[in-house]
Amino acid sequence: MKRLLLLTLAGVWSTLAFSQTPYPSTYEAKAHSPYVLVSRAIDVGEGQGWFSGWLLVENGLIQSVGTDLTAIPEGIEVIDVGDQYVTPGIIDVHSHLGDYPAPGYRAHSDGNEGTAPVTAEVWAEHSVWPQDPQFPLALAGGVTALQILPGSANLFGGRSVTLKNVWSRTVQGMKFPGAPYGLKMACGENPKRVYGSKGRSPATRMGNFAGYRKAWIEAVEYRQAWADYETERAAFEAKAASDDVDEDNKSESKGSAKPPKPPKRNLQMETLVGVLDGDILVHNHCYRADEMAQIIDLSKEFGYQVTAFHHAVEAYKIGDLLAENNVCSAMWADWWRFKLESFDGVTANIPMVHAAGACAIVHSDSPNGIQRLNQEAAKALAAGRRLGLEISDSQAITWLTKNPAKALGILDQTGTLAVGKMADIVVWSSNPLSVYAEAMQVRVDGVVQFDRAAAMRPITDFELDHREEVLK
Amino acid sequence: MNQSLRRECMLLLLTLMVAFPVLAQDLLIRGVHLPGPNGSKGERVDVWVQEGRIVSIGLGLEAPSASAFDAEGLVITAGYIDSGTSVGLADVSGLGTSNDGEVEGDPNAAGFEVWRSLNEASSMIPVAPNDGVTHGVIVPSAGDANFAGESAMVRFVQGDGFVKIPSLAQHLYLREWNRKVAGGSRGNALQMVLADLDEAMRYSRDQKQYNTSKLRAFSMEERDLKALVRVIKGERPLVVHVDRAADIRKVVDSLARFPDLRLIISGGVEAWRLAPLLAEKNIPVLLNVLDNVPESFDRLGARLDAAAILDRAGVRLAFMSTTPYSEFRSLTQAAGVAVANGLPWEQALRAITTGPAEIWGIEGGRLAVGEVANLVLWDGDPIEITSAPTAVMIDGEWVNLETRQQKLSERYRDLLKLK
Repeated sequence: MKRLLLLTLAGVWSTLAFSQTPYPSTYEAKAHSPYVLVSRAIDVGEGQGWFSGWLLVENGLIQSVGTDLTAIPEGIEVIDVGDQYVTPGIIDVHSHLGDYPAPGYRAHSDGNEGTAPVTAEVWAEHSVWPQDPQFPLALAGGVTALQILPGSANLFGGRSVTLKNVWSRTVQGMKFPGAPYGLKMACGENPKRVYGSKGRSPATRMGNFAGYRKAWIEAVEYRQAWADYETERAAFEAKAASDDVDEDNKSESKGSAKPPKPPKRNLQMETLVGVLDGDILVHNHCYRADEMAQIIDLSKEFGYQVTAFHHAVEAYKIGDLLAENNVCSAMWADWWRFKLESFDGVTANIPMVHAAGACAIVHSDSPNGIQRLNQEAAKALAAGRRLGLEISDSQAITWLTKNPAKALGILDQTGTLAVGKMADIVVWSSNPLSVYAEAMQVRVDGVVQFDRAAAMRPITDFELDHREEVLK
Repeated sequence: MNQSLRRECMLLLLTLMVAFPVLAQDLLIRGVHLPGPNGSKGERVDVWVQEGRIVSIGLGLEAPSASAFDAEGLVITAGYIDSGTSVGLADVSGLGTSNDGEVEGDPNAAGFEVWRSLNEASSMIPVAPNDGVTHGVIVPSAGDANFAGESAMVRFVQGDGFVKIPSLAQHLYLREWNRKVAGGSRGNALQMVLADLDEAMRYSRDQKQYNTSKLRAFSMEERDLKALVRVIKGERPLVVHVDRAADIRKVVDSLARFPDLRLIISGGVEAWRLAPLLAEKNIPVLLNVLDNVPESFDRLGARLDAAAILDRAGVRLAFMSTTPYSEFRSLTQAAGVAVANGLPWEQALRAITTGPAEIWGIEGGRLAVGEVANLVLWDGDPIEITSAPTAVMIDGEWVNLETRQQKLSERYRDLLKLK
């Protein structure tokens, strides 16, 4: 019933007069000739384990997957990587690359619109600098797609954007085609510190919640105002149409009735209504278990879904609740104790969330961490095993690939190496759950973007002259 | 309290700290592997520890008096030394009130000694040996001065023996983002530093002047002067936190006029550009291996293979963890990443054991007869991030590896019946 209602409202939304997709993606996968990638150790990202086999890639997509080497289609280039490992591209759900680029000066600090607790109207993509040299560093770590989020100073930080990790002159040229927007929300210490120190609300955690609820109430009203308008407009148009039919009757009202006036557009509310309609996914910065549980109730109060808690340092305490409510947790392997709400961080957090049947994701929030997400997964997996949890290598790889794709709403396009999906592929020097493993080759939509052996990688404008020597 | 009484008290305290007794041991660790090539299991040996020292290493040792420890299948290394961390200076680094790592509002903090702030009961201490880290250099953060004060060497054992060397080295920050403390210019900062060292030189020649009526005979407080005298006499190394190659060169050149000064470069993001010079002058470099982001104009040359380049040139290396987020947990990861980027495996191990032990002048950095028993028994490749210690001995004593984090994990594993 609720689902039906959401669909109906989404339908209404799409008829609005203004464009819902300004700044559209202009990314186009480059053409490539078809090939078959052969490896002794392929993991397709479904948690089922390594197998020896091959992938046929054509037109940027996985066309077929096989284990029988004699069944490889003939007449197509074969790229045999031997004992090197193959996985789906890594996806980071929590990054600020481009909006906190390197070099990291104040003039470049574009991640936090920390001027009001509700800034749902800002869009991270308008801050992204595509020449950030941190993008190719992440690529060298096997990252093929990433979500750029606004910072966590505000209760509602603004819209996120999901990017393909390819070099482009424009942000639009990196935007992941068809990826839904996200809304960044934040719990806990950050918003109350930022605004409390300015002598305004929120100054406490209860102030945070009052702020969320006030905004959602407004969003519900805004959505209703537009729904009412649509109803009036439909009635007006129907009447106008029937008047046309009855033209001969010379209806009295003809010509005197004015079309209904649309409500004034509100960018903040458009984003929040996008969430209520299920079009925009909520990514909620939240460390503490008790706060996450309250945020879940908040989402029920207003009828939306929390897609993922980010920095969910205490997710291990409520894995059952997260599983029950279908909320993913994006986590670090071992960041801990740098602020009070991270005090109870444990290295087994990620595997414990996984073992509770909830969706676990390794995220970075860091230009260094994003280069080594595979190592973070390895550390977490090892901690889980030491705690007695039975988790396979392959299941740990879903923390880097399938689960983040799910949280970004792009799992039907990428995140696993299933037939029909984008050929976003990493070839690793050895098992990626090792500190010694390096991404040797990274392909986005079937096209090589990074090749370690050939010293081939994108060089941003900023790196010219400054870092070419370093990148040889 | 007058000066001399204060000094007496301090000396007494230091004596208590340093002289914390090492328990006598007579222990035979049986069937353990030495690290082999590239982290494989090497030669299988027994290691005999008596009175806190390694007395014999070999296969089939006969030690009837010793209690035996079965280490079959494990790999043994010396305890790891983290050459740059802030563990123990804060309960929670982001809480200003709990962080004692820097001095604010003091134009010269050379006399600040971090050991006075350390908490030997911190629940963070047992986390370190769980990552194989037995010793660490607790570094003062850059405050409002060029000289930030003296670091301490700690051993990661809760209790009285926590502080091993209270006054280890002087720290000087000359990175781009610290330049504001010196009137906005790094050139001026270096001039101020040289003037301070000259003043300390003058003070060391004529200390009596300090208490004469000559006003402004010295611009610094006496404790700062004394700390800098230790630097120019070479009694404490001077660790300069500096990244840009041009700045490192100027530091090396300008400090050459203090012949006894022992210079160490910390961070040194672009030190690889000066590898031959640093090798020639025998200046060690403390590296954050994972720091490969060009996050400022003095770090444009950041690269993951910096350790490999420096090592090939013969520069002495030690690694630091320093990330404020994961604390010391990135030390083995740093060593592993250095290996993946061209540093020979045994040199990576060296940069977290023997290398720093030599740089800081402490025992226990080697697995050798006569050495202090500072030992870690690993369940796998001792640099691989999935490996962990199963037992750790610091200065001849087994340490408790139980942590608060483990208790939390076990509590919720059991509550949620996780398998």
